[in-house]
Amino acid sequence: MGSRKYLLRKTLHAIATLVFVLTFNFFLFRVMPSDPVQLYARSLHLTEEDKAELEHELGLDRPLPQQFVVYMRETITGNLGTSIKTGLPVSEMIVSRLWPTILLVGLSTILSTAFGLLIGIKGAWQRGSFFDTGSLFGSLVLYSMPEGWLGMILLIFFAGTLHWFPAGQYESSGAAFTGFAHFFDVLNHLFLPALTLTLGYIGEYAIIMRSSLLETMGEDFVQTARAKGLQEKLVRRRHAVPNAILPSLTLIFYSFGYVLGGAIIVETVFSWPGIGLLEYKSIAELDYPVIQGVFLLFSAAVIVFNLAADILYGYLDPRIREA
Amino acid sequence: MRRARGGGAILLTVLGLMVMGPASSALAQTDAGTDENIVFDVGLTEDLTSPNPFRACCTADYEMLWLNYDLLYNFANKDLAPEPGLAMSSQHSDDYMTWTFEIRDDATWHDGQPLTAEDIAFTYQFISDYKLAFFKDYLPFDPTFSAPNPTTLVWESTEPTFAPTIPPWVPILPKHVWEEFTKVSDDPAEVKKAAKEYENVPAVGSGPFQLTEWVKGQSFTMEARRPYWGGDPVIDKVVYHIYENQEAMVQALKNGEIQFAEALKPTLFDALEGEPNIQTHVAPAGCFSNFAFNFGGQGKADTHDPAIEDLVVRQAVSHAIDKQAIVDSVWQGYASPGDSVVRPQQNLWYHDIPADQEFAFDLDLAAQMLEDAGYVDSNDDGVREAPDDGHPLEWEVVTLSDEAGSNDTGKLIEGWLEQIGIDVTLVPVSTTKAYVLWGDGDFDAYVWGWCGDPDPDFILSIHTTDQCLGWSDGCYSNPKFDAMYQEQRTIFDYEERRALIDQMQEFLYQEVPQIVLAYENDLQAFRTDRFEGYVPVPEPDGFYLFGWGSDSYLSLRPIEGAPTAAEKPGLSAGVWIAIAAGVVVIVILVALMRRRGGEEQA
Repeated sequence: MGSRKYLLRKTLHAIATLVFVLTFNFFLFRVMPSDPVQLYARSLHLTEEDKAELEHELGLDRPLPQQFVVYMRETITGNLGTSIKTGLPVSEMIVSRLWPTILLVGLSTILSTAFGLLIGIKGAWQRGSFFDTGSLFGSLVLYSMPEGWLGMILLIFFAGTLHWFPAGQYESSGAAFTGFAHFFDVLNHLFLPALTLTLGYIGEYAIIMRSSLLETMGEDFVQTARAKGLQEKLVRRRHAVPNAILPSLTLIFYSFGYVLGGAIIVETVFSWPGIGLLEYKSIAELDYPVIQGVFLLFSAAVIVFNLAADILYGYLDPRIREA
Repeated sequence: MRRARGGGAILLTVLGLMVMGPASSALAQTDAGTDENIVFDVGLTEDLTSPNPFRACCTADYEMLWLNYDLLYNFANKDLAPEPGLAMSSQHSDDYMTWTFEIRDDATWHDGQPLTAEDIAFTYQFISDYKLAFFKDYLPFDPTFSAPNPTTLVWESTEPTFAPTIPPWVPILPKHVWEEFTKVSDDPAEVKKAAKEYENVPAVGSGPFQLTEWVKGQSFTMEARRPYWGGDPVIDKVVYHIYENQEAMVQALKNGEIQFAEALKPTLFDALEGEPNIQTHVAPAGCFSNFAFNFGGQGKADTHDPAIEDLVVRQAVSHAIDKQAIVDSVWQGYASPGDSVVRPQQNLWYHDIPADQEFAFDLDLAAQMLEDAGYVDSNDDGVREAPDDGHPLEWEVVTLSDEAGSNDTGKLIEGWLEQIGIDVTLVPVSTTKAYVLWGDGDFDAYVWGWCGDPDPDFILSIHTTDQCLGWSDGCYSNPKFDAMYQEQRTIFDYEERRALIDQMQEFLYQEVPQIVLAYENDLQAFRTDRFEGYVPVPEPDGFYLFGWGSDSYLSLRPIEGAPTAAEKPGLSAGVWIAIAAGVVVIVILVALMRRRGGEEQA
C-alpha cells in the first residue's frame, strides 16, 4: 500500500518537474536578449524576405501564447525543430550523438562508482591508516581537479609524448576498420576520455562512501554485531557496508547531472562526438533550437535519474517509503 | 557471497556490452583493416557547415568546394590573377555588356555525364534568379546567361561590367541534379528552401575530388575522381579530421594521425619548431584585423558616439594605436603592421601607403589633436568631453572572444585610448552575438577583421553607403568615395583602374572608416615523413592548403618507401586482450580467496 503511494507520489513529482522545465525552457529562450533572426541575418547574409521566412519557420511571427501551445505540442510529439546552422532536424542531430555519450558516461560512471566505493570502504574501515590518508588525499586532489585540465594533461602525455593513444575523436576516420579491428579502434579512442571522466568522479564517490561508512560504523547495530563475536570482515560485509551504501548510491544517482556537465568538457577536449560536444558547439553558435533540445534532454535525464534514485532508495530502505 | 559474485558478473557483462556496442553489428564481418588507398589526413578545428554550397560559410566549406567543384576561372599560382578554369578564353563586346566564353569540352561530372556550357549557364542563372547567398554578389546587374552550344557561354549584363574577370567565385553545379529544385514550386521561396535543404552527399561536381562521406563533428572524406582535366591526383582520398581544440590537433600531428594542421596559434606553432619530421610554414596573410568605427544609421538601438563622425577624432585614434606592438604581443611577430584595406597578398592591387602620409604612433600628438579640436577634460576625471554638448568620450568596443587575437588587441587599444582621454569599455562577445550588436548598431567600435577575393572590388565595396547593414562595418558613408567606387567598376584597363584604386586606398586611410591593424600570417604545419609535393599559392611562400585552389592536392604524392597509411596510435588488440585476461584472472583469484575466507569462517 505504502509503497505504491510512494511510487505514485515520486512519479508525479518527476512529471511536474519535467513540465516545469519544459515551460521554463520556452520562456528562457524567449527572454534572451538576442532576436534569433537578427542573429543570423549577417552570418548567413539573409535578405529581408529570407528573414521573414526564417521568422515564420521558427514560428516567431505568431503571438506568444500560440507559440507556447505549438511548442508544447511539437515537443511532446518529439519534434524539436530544425537547427538554424545546419538545417537538420534537432532530434536527428541528438540521436546521432547519443551513443558516444552513453558509452563514455556509462562506462566512466560504472568504473568510477565501482572503484570509488571500494576505495571509500577500505579507507573508512582502516580509518587513519596509511591507505586511508593516502586515498583521502588522492580523492580530494582528483575531486577538485577540473576535468578539462586533467584531460588536456592526459592528452598531451599519452598521445603527444608517448604516442600510446590517439589524440581524440571517436574512431580512426577514413581507416575503414570493421569487426574487431573497429572495436579495438573505438576502445583506443575511448580510453583517454573515459579515464579522465573516471578519475574526475572517483574521488567524489570515495569521499561520499567513506563518510557514509564512518557514520554507520558508529551505529549501535554495528557494535551489537561485534559484540556477537562476528569476525571483523563479516561485520563489514553484512552489517556496515549494506547500510552505508544506501545513501552513497542515491547520492551517486543524484550527482548524474554533474557527470553530464563533466562530459561536456571532456568531450570538447577529446573531440568526442557526443551530446556534450553538440551542446558546447550550439551554445557557441547560438543555435537556439539545438540548445533548447539538448537542454531538455539533459533535464529529462537528470529528472529520470533522480526518480530512479528515489525509487531505488525506497525499495532498498523500507523506512523511506513508509515515511 | 554468492550475491556479491553475481553482482560482479553483471558488472563485467555490462562493461563488456558497453564497449562491444559500437562494434557488435560489425562483428560478423571480416577484419578488413586499412585499405590499399593512398590516404592523406588533414586536421581542422572546424567542421563543415554543410556540404550544400548554398550554406557554405567558413574555411572547411570552402576547402571542400575547391576540391569538389570547378570554377569558370581559377587563380594563378604566381599572383592570383584569373587563369583558365572551365573557361579557356573570353571575349567581350566593346560596351562590356556581353561576354562570350569558350568552355572546355573535356570536363565531366562525377556521375559520368559531360559538363557543358549549359551547366554553367544554369548555375549562374539559378543563383542570380533565386538570389542565393554570397554567390549572387559575383553576378551583378541582373544578367542573363545562355549556352548557344556546349562549348560557348554567353553572359549578358544590363550594364557594362568586368564582373566575369573578378572572377566569380561560384562553384559550377550539375544542371541535371539542381534543376529538379526549380520544379518543386512556382514560389521562389520554396525553390530556394528546397535547394538549401538538399543534403548533397555524395556531392556531384566536376572537381578532382568528391565529397563521399560526412561524419558530423568527426570527419569528412573526399575521394579522387579520375580522369580530371587539370591532371589526375596521386592521392586517392583526403580525410579531414575535426578537432575541437588546437592542442588536440597538434598532438595528433605529432602522433602522425594527421599530415597537416591548419591555422595554428603562435604559441603552439612555436612549440612545433624542432619536432622531428614536422615542418612549420608561415604563409602571408589572407586576412587583416581591424578597429572599425560605428557611424550610426542602423536604426533600432544605434548607440554610437557622434564624436566618431569627427574626422579629427578618428585620426587621433589612428595616432594612438601602436600597430607594431599589436604585431609583437598579440601575434608574436607572425603578422605585419597594417595600412591599406587591400592586403599585400593581393599583390596586383596592394598600395603601400607612403610613409609621409601614415599616422605614426604618437600619443602626445593624438592628445594634442583632440585638445586643439576642443575635446578637453573640463571636470578632470581623465575623460575628455565633446565641445558641442559636453558629453564624455566613452566608447563601447566590441571584441570577439572566438576570433583569434581580438580580445588581446582590444585590451591594448583600451590602454592607449585611456591615455589620450577616451574611456573604453570592452564588450567581449561571441561572433554570433557580435552580429546582433552590429545589426542593431549597439557599439562604438569593434575589433574584427576581413578576408576576401584577390580582386579589391569587394573590400572597397564595404565602405560604400548602400552597404549599410549589408557588408559595411559601421555604416560609413561618403559620397565622394561612393563615386570613386562606381567609377572603378567601369574602368576596364588594368593600369588605369589600378591608379584609381591606389587613390581609393589612400582616401580610406586618411578618412579612417576603420583602422587596419595587422595582416596576420596563416601558420601551418605539416609532416615531412610521408608526403611531398606541397605547392605554395601564391608563390613563393603562400598557403600550402586552404588557399586559392587545389594545386597541392593534385601534386601531393607519397615519399618513396614511406608507409602508405597514417599512424593509428593505440594499444593493439593483443594487448587489450591480455589486459582483459589479466583483469579476469585477478577477479577469479579474489573471488577464490574470499570463498576460502568464507569457508574458514563457516
